[in-house]
Amino acid sequence: MQRVVFLVDMNAFFISCEASRSPALRDVPAAVAGDPKNRSGIILAANYEARKYKVKTTMVIHEAKKLCPNLVLVPPDHDFYSQKSKEVMNILSRYSPLIQQNSIDEAWMDLTGSKALLGEPLEIARSIMDTILNELGLWCSVGISDNKSLAKMASEFKKPLGITELYQKDVKEKLWPLPVRDMYGIGRQTEARLLNLGISKIGDIAGCDSKLLVKIFGKYGAEMYRLANGIDNSPVEPNTFGDSKSVGRSTTLRDDITDIDYAKKVLLQLAEEVGADARRYGSKGRTVSIEIKYSDFKTITRQKSIPATFLTREIYNTGAGLLDKYWDTTRPVRLLGISLSNFEDKDLRQMSIFDTLENEQNVDRTKKEEQLEKTIDKLRQKFGDEKIKRAKTIK
Amino acid sequence: MKVSCSKENLTEGINMVQKAVSSKSTLPILEGILIEANQELKLTGNDLELGIECKVPADIQENGSIVINSKIFGDIVRRLPDAEVFIEVTGSNMVIIECENSHFEIKGIPSSGFPALPEIKKENAFVVNQEILRNMIKQTLFAVSMDENRPILTGSLMECKDKKLTFVSIDGFRMALRNYEVDNEAENLKVVIPGKTLNEILKILQPVKDEVSIYSTNNQILFDMNNCKVVSRLLEGEYLNYNGIIPQDYEIKIKVNTKELLAGIERASLVTVDEKRYPVKFNIANDKMVITSNTDIGAVREELKIDMDGGKMDIGFNPRYFIDALKVIEEEQINIFLTSNVGPCTIRPVDKDRFAYMVLPVRTRNE
Repeated sequence: MQRVVFLVDMNAFFISCEASRSPALRDVPAAVAGDPKNRSGIILAANYEARKYKVKTTMVIHEAKKLCPNLVLVPPDHDFYSQKSKEVMNILSRYSPLIQQNSIDEAWMDLTGSKALLGEPLEIARSIMDTILNELGLWCSVGISDNKSLAKMASEFKKPLGITELYQKDVKEKLWPLPVRDMYGIGRQTEARLLNLGISKIGDIAGCDSKLLVKIFGKYGAEMYRLANGIDNSPVEPNTFGDSKSVGRSTTLRDDITDIDYAKKVLLQLAEEVGADARRYGSKGRTVSIEIKYSDFKTITRQKSIPATFLTREIYNTGAGLLDKYWDTTRPVRLLGISLSNFEDKDLRQMSIFDTLENEQNVDRTKKEEQLEKTIDKLRQKFGDEKIKRAKTIK
Repeated sequence: MKVSCSKENLTEGINMVQKAVSSKSTLPILEGILIEANQELKLTGNDLELGIECKVPADIQENGSIVINSKIFGDIVRRLPDAEVFIEVTGSNMVIIECENSHFEIKGIPSSGFPALPEIKKENAFVVNQEILRNMIKQTLFAVSMDENRPILTGSLMECKDKKLTFVSIDGFRMALRNYEVDNEAENLKVVIPGKTLNEILKILQPVKDEVSIYSTNNQILFDMNNCKVVSRLLEGEYLNYNGIIPQDYEIKIKVNTKELLAGIERASLVTVDEKRYPVKFNIANDKMVITSNTDIGAVREELKIDMDGGKMDIGFNPRYFIDALKVIEEEQINIFLTSNVGPCTIRPVDKDRFAYMVLPVRTRNE
């Protein structure tokens, strides 16, 4: 059966989310931008009004202001966007159980064999777009194809609120005349190397000797050749926690820091999110890793194995221990991250001598703590993350 | 220094001391072998955790000493023809190695910077024959922990009390214990020897009746064999009270042929994938033990006749743990004591008290 794969891409997602709660933003040039005072002072997402003035993502704020003096800037609220993203995914899941979220604002859907149930692909796409618009007030574009990479490229063709079909049989006509940069996976670096070889159109890649591409780009060369010919057999793989090998969080600090106590506070907040994720899926991990990126962008990761846990306190303590051990006070730190991996198989558990040896009080305490943290998770889910905090994180 | 010896003896000595030479060290001298000629020829390797000293039969023409890079020295000597090797050190620390038509000149390092092996007073020797020591180490070493979170368990406990020598290893999921009656007047001995040291000693010990003398201090242990001495750091801390871990009661006691059980589990584990820790399952009932394994690859069923005492039980194990233990058991028949499907299982000899291997089960969700 011919596959039917959609890519649903939310248009100007962050600013659209903002407009969905402040309709006044809809008709004026507006953008979500980081605080001009700190380093994230760049445009994160501009609406289509602003784009008319050539305001683009990643542009620094004063540059954007020069182009469009009336630009309304909104500070980012990532929690709100994740919430909206979840709502979008919920809508998509009404159409197919096979959804692979690629980022906060886009996802693939497999709709193979849905014709009898939902209608022609174009009708389904129209319905998805309308539902998201009506229920959430958000715009999206849909790419329709028989595989993932073509669907992704198709979604880029018409924005906003566009639906584009691009099947493998159409690549010669629709894809090959496009510049290589438009192909999924080709960035500035690869583009430059291709141009050097005299390859400028996607059709040039498709017409290349695949062996030559492999020789120059390695494994990726073969992939590039297949994609240019519209061949992509990768399945739409639903994101489930069970398959993921680790759960982690990292953050770029507002300023470079050398203060370990402050770093620990940041780590605690990150550990809290990591723990909450792990607890939600009931998966206990045995390895805690931390990541430290210094101001010169050199990155180190350090890890330690512990008895399987999903407790914030244990994840944090292990991370803080690693920080104590490897923290280099002479080098300013730009980014911190912590992750939990090596998850225990929920169906199988190798019993340990220490299970019986460790006194029951201890086991009891762990159980109580698990209960406590799960309860906190529930409170936060219901009333928001800010409603209950660890004393340590309150200034 | 000026000496000559046979290539064979020299190679043997190098192989032995190389076990204690760091392959990568910040101090180049620690990557070397100390060669000393003082009436006799002695080679020494020392990585500061473990030190090995070995005598090589040689003709000494001139005393002296030098340190030479272990890898280069070993590679050279191993490739020499089977003939007499001459070693000479010149005034400028050049080591000349000659054998038949080969002539090497290798830069040496003055021996004054080489760390001496720790002095251990040769008092209260504990004497045991090599073969017994070798067997006891071999039969327990595999259960030593690799987990650095509990450093004390990365070594084996060696204990001598009431004329009984005991070796114990515990990695948290299993335990290996061996006893041997010794006729020894030594005071009580209780030390925890790093797994790495035991691994190297195991390679040096021969299955012969010759004796080994063991001396220990608070933090060092010395194994003195005929021509070879091994000194190692000991692990510090209190070892687990292993006697308290072994259950005294049981639900089911079975008697089974060791080789048949081993073969059955080995076949059943062919379809398990190590990293995913699939267990093999034992279904024990009515004088029958059914071993099954069911994985992504496929399924196995093995049936074994047993003598049993008690009800029935379904229990899962990591097959590796059973295989490791069964492989080192020489007795034809063994007893297995099961407590519950989440509690420890102990393998013991049918008579006497020579060993105990305890394995913790894998709990499956539907239980």
